[in-house]
Amino acid sequence: MPVRTPHFPDLLFGAASRLRRWEDALMGLLETHGYRELHPSLVLREAVPDGALRFFDGDDLVALRWDFTVALAGLLARRFPLPPPRVAYAGAVFRRPVQPWEAVERFEVGCERIQPEGESSTEADVELARLLMAIPGTIGLKSAILHLGNAALVRRPLEAEGLFGELANAVVAALSRRAPHRVREALDGHPSAQRLAAHAEALLSELDGPSTLDALSASPYAELLKDERDHMDRTLKALLPILPPNLDLRVDLADVAGLGFYTGPTLRLWAPGAQQELAAGGRYDQLFPGLGRPWQAAGFCVRLSRLLDLAETRPDLFEQPL
Amino acid sequence: MKQTLLIAFPKGRLGDDLVPKLVGTPLALDAEALKSRVLRIPTATPGVAALLLKGADLPRYVAAGVASLGIVGSDTLDEMDMDLLELADLGFGACRLSLCALTGVTLDSLRAKSHLRLATKFPKATEAWLTREGLTAELVPLSSSAELAPLLGLADAIVDLVQTGSTLKAHGLVETVVLGRSSARLIAARGAYLSEPGRIRPLAESLIAALHAE
Repeated sequence: MPVRTPHFPDLLFGAASRLRRWEDALMGLLETHGYRELHPSLVLREAVPDGALRFFDGDDLVALRWDFTVALAGLLARRFPLPPPRVAYAGAVFRRPVQPWEAVERFEVGCERIQPEGESSTEADVELARLLMAIPGTIGLKSAILHLGNAALVRRPLEAEGLFGELANAVVAALSRRAPHRVREALDGHPSAQRLAAHAEALLSELDGPSTLDALSASPYAELLKDERDHMDRTLKALLPILPPNLDLRVDLADVAGLGFYTGPTLRLWAPGAQQELAAGGRYDQLFPGLGRPWQAAGFCVRLSRLLDLAETRPDLFEQPL
Repeated sequence: MKQTLLIAFPKGRLGDDLVPKLVGTPLALDAEALKSRVLRIPTATPGVAALLLKGADLPRYVAAGVASLGIVGSDTLDEMDMDLLELADLGFGACRLSLCALTGVTLDSLRAKSHLRLATKFPKATEAWLTREGLTAELVPLSSSAELAPLLGLADAIVDLVQTGSTLKAHGLVETVVLGRSSARLIAARGAYLSEPGRIRPLAESLIAALHAE
């Protein structure tokens, strides 16, 4: 059994000041791009997932806010007949750690771009990617890597093959481990085994710049995924000319993290040598329809707690003395 | 200046198979250091060192990013379920994870027991098999020498790795059911691989080439 010591960080002077400074700078950046702040309650009464910090308020089981996107979605669906197009948030979320070194209390800044269903989402996706590109400069990271992915590259072939439940989860887990041999093992004897194994090889063959998209040609689902490929191509063409010199842009076809939630393009920000991604997001068009609202949405979240850890362990990755 | 890149290699049976395969490759371990008791060994590539670790500890070093790459048995990976990448099945160190009992004890006789006791250091794989079979059992956790458990009455059978079967035979045990198969896997720290693929990927490819991955 893994040893887990619940970790509630106390931030002392330097880290506390850094958190305040970064929060202000990032919220300022979002505000200048038209994102208006919402602050959902710290205590949530909706269906409480296992990983949340739960307690009884009288007879009611409630939880500390475990995820801003979920909290905001509840708030927006309850209180707005039409979606505010751009919202931002800052604060802490509380979740039981999956990995022993993770803290329970995590500080985040993020934004959401919400549109009525049916509107073109391409511009919104590019807008979010451009905003994420500005994050490293805003917080003084010397260099960073932006990974572009698309959850549909895995979702759609699995759906087309009628693969759901345990078997689909096994394929996704194998892709998450970047283990094509595990994909073959998981699908042994299944009618789609050969096609999905070839697709996994194609997704895992490269982790590089725009030429990575060419790997999709080798997939048996190349035609099925034509729209996704075109979308990624358009996004790259929009981003490459404005790429800051300290930012590397890579295409990660096998990004399956959060596949149960994301439905389309995904974004992840890394620093060279960092052990965890520093920001992540993407398109999640099924969230609001599930709450009875015909809206589509995308967003990203900057994980300030990870940045604070990085500032302690790798100060050399930042521009100025921290 | 770049930090030294660490690769975690296993001690024990898998390590005994691995070290000779690396001789003459860019990742050959320094022979003098190997003879000593140090656990951090220089390799033939400057800036790359090897850590010699117990299999059960090794995935933690990689998942935490202390070591960027590692080699470990898939049986250990399956038991630990750590967040890391598994880049290749290296093929060597192949063995079976099997239910083993004293000669003459059949699966049906084990099924018929009202209180079945299974000794193992693989509780997760054992529980998964019991669930598939619709059986319940008391799991007796052991970390080594599981073969003794049925002989001395600590358990009715064991779930353990079997390579040649000679250890089983020496203790009067036979394989009753094969639960799964294991082999050496090349693993990588998610962060190191995704944030520095230009540094990690060539090294991973060089390891795969050296170890003749299938």
